[in-house]
Amino acid sequence: MTKTYQEINDKIKNGDAVVVTAEEMIKIVEENGVKVAAEDIDIVTTGTFGPMCSSGAFLNFGHSDPPIKFDHLWLNEVHAYHGNAAVDCYLGVTRMADKRPFEYGGGNVIEELVSGKPIRLRGTSNTTDCYPLGEIDTYFTIEDLNQAVLCNPRNAYQRYHCAVNSTDRTLFTYMGKLLPNYGNAHYCGAGCLNPLTNDPDYETIGIGTRIFLGGGTGYVIGQGTQHNPKEGFGTLFVKGDLKQMRSEYLRGVNYEQYGTSMFCGVGVPIPILNEGLAKKTAIKDEDIITEIVDYGVPRRDRPKIGTSNYKELKSGVIKINRKEIKCSSMSSLYYARKIANELKEWIEDGDFLLNPPAEQLPTNTPFKPMRQTSEIKFVKDLKKEAIICYEDCDIQIVANKIINQNINHIVITDRNRKLKGIVTSFDITKAVAKNKKNLLDIITKKVITTTDNEPIEVASRKMKKNAISALPVVDDKNIVIGIISSEELM
Amino acid sequence: MTIINVMVPFRLIKRIDDYSRIINEILKHDISFNVLKFSTSSSGINLLLDVPEEKVNTITISLRQNEIQVNKKGRVVLDKDMCIDCGACVSLCPTDALYFKEDTSVGLEEEKCLGCLICIDSCPRGAIEESK
Repeated sequence: MTKTYQEINDKIKNGDAVVVTAEEMIKIVEENGVKVAAEDIDIVTTGTFGPMCSSGAFLNFGHSDPPIKFDHLWLNEVHAYHGNAAVDCYLGVTRMADKRPFEYGGGNVIEELVSGKPIRLRGTSNTTDCYPLGEIDTYFTIEDLNQAVLCNPRNAYQRYHCAVNSTDRTLFTYMGKLLPNYGNAHYCGAGCLNPLTNDPDYETIGIGTRIFLGGGTGYVIGQGTQHNPKEGFGTLFVKGDLKQMRSEYLRGVNYEQYGTSMFCGVGVPIPILNEGLAKKTAIKDEDIITEIVDYGVPRRDRPKIGTSNYKELKSGVIKINRKEIKCSSMSSLYYARKIANELKEWIEDGDFLLNPPAEQLPTNTPFKPMRQTSEIKFVKDLKKEAIICYEDCDIQIVANKIINQNINHIVITDRNRKLKGIVTSFDITKAVAKNKKNLLDIITKKVITTTDNEPIEVASRKMKKNAISALPVVDDKNIVIGIISSEELM
Repeated sequence: MTIINVMVPFRLIKRIDDYSRIINEILKHDISFNVLKFSTSSSGINLLLDVPEEKVNTITISLRQNEIQVNKKGRVVLDKDMCIDCGACVSLCPTDALYFKEDTSVGLEEEKCLGCLICIDSCPRGAIEESK
């Protein structure tokens, strides 16, 4: 059995097309089998609604009088990119407001723009003979723009991994707030409703595919950036006219200590051209496997500590080393369903036709890491020998060592060099002032440490974040093997 | 264990001894408890205590007799106009006060909220606020 786009579109126009969501398709295939489902069902709708950092909008303001060619411009104090013609710009959603970063960003501006609110435009120029205006400060609404085009280089990940945190402190990441010691887990994506999951071989999704985008109509314009089909991490490059979108499906967000982004609603209709597509669109949550990744290791290749599937993820609890961990999503399943249902209604109403892609998405794009021509340095490259005192050492001796060796930090260990604490020259001064005699009373016992293979940048961030100037270097048994201080990092 | 909010008004604590007197008031009932959070507000000292469930009544009565406010009521509010039903807060909530409803939208059962406030900075929409 095969169907053509033409046949399906004729049915849509006649109001005869049978449209179901990807969730409904599962039951239909289960009850009637693939063969019958392929004949009965014409279109399966999908949807996803999550934070999509690689999003933004091209805007054209029209010319001012006298004309200006922007050098820099800000929309509600968010710096937009200008590297095109005089009054074009690109506003990215992760760009944060100059004066209130981590609070307001490009995503918020797009949400406000689409909801019809006035936006402040402030711009400066170097001035030219043809563009003499040096500065502008004005307000506009979306109606005033010539073009407002949502253009997102990477949206709608086929699937995403699940994030946990093995460290002893809370992490604030783009995967949300991750509690220490595997205290919780976060995943992203709508599982069986995800657009690319339902067409994993990209038979029907490609350049020109008409889609639901931000509550309006949009198009796939190619493979998304970092499209990684071999690993099942395909992505979409999409665009659409912002003027017909709705702010309900474009929501500015701000993640604590990470920054701003935007939730973007994407829904893709999948024509059931053959039995293969009927089978693929019936994919269940339990068959979509993803990896559990430790965000406690701030490296490109974060350790994978297990696998899960979207059924388990959606259940709210995953298991790691037999321990149950509370799990929730960063994306909204509620809105994903709403999008799949709304797209279904559009098609049923005859307003939305399907079209074959001009070119299919590639299935063999390589996914490469960044080429770094300068070597990255690790703690082991810059560490020094730690000056150590045992825990039962006299404060006087510790003080002498600080003076004689001209250092600021003494690492306190047991006889086997196992880390017990750290003491600074300031701690010694304090001990003298308060007449304290016992070393254990003045040392810092909860020590922030580093390891040989930690990149210098990571160690440096630890010091900055904790407002300290040295980190003992320990091995996996907490044995002290050196120290690194802010002086080495200068 | 059950978590309760205890607010000791500043007027009750003039000297450090007053503070120990209050703690002793709890300890005399032979209750072992955890102080989860210690903070000060304009009105007094707030303690978030983790106490054994069967002792909640005893401890509440005893503290109230000493003019100390005790409550188990919700401490956050969820602004559904701002909420986008993502769930970034749900995994953090120790008591399932923030949860996914049947229709997968996010809800708050205020009765269950302990006021640990761990969820507040997890919300990318600023939709969760401490109740006044």
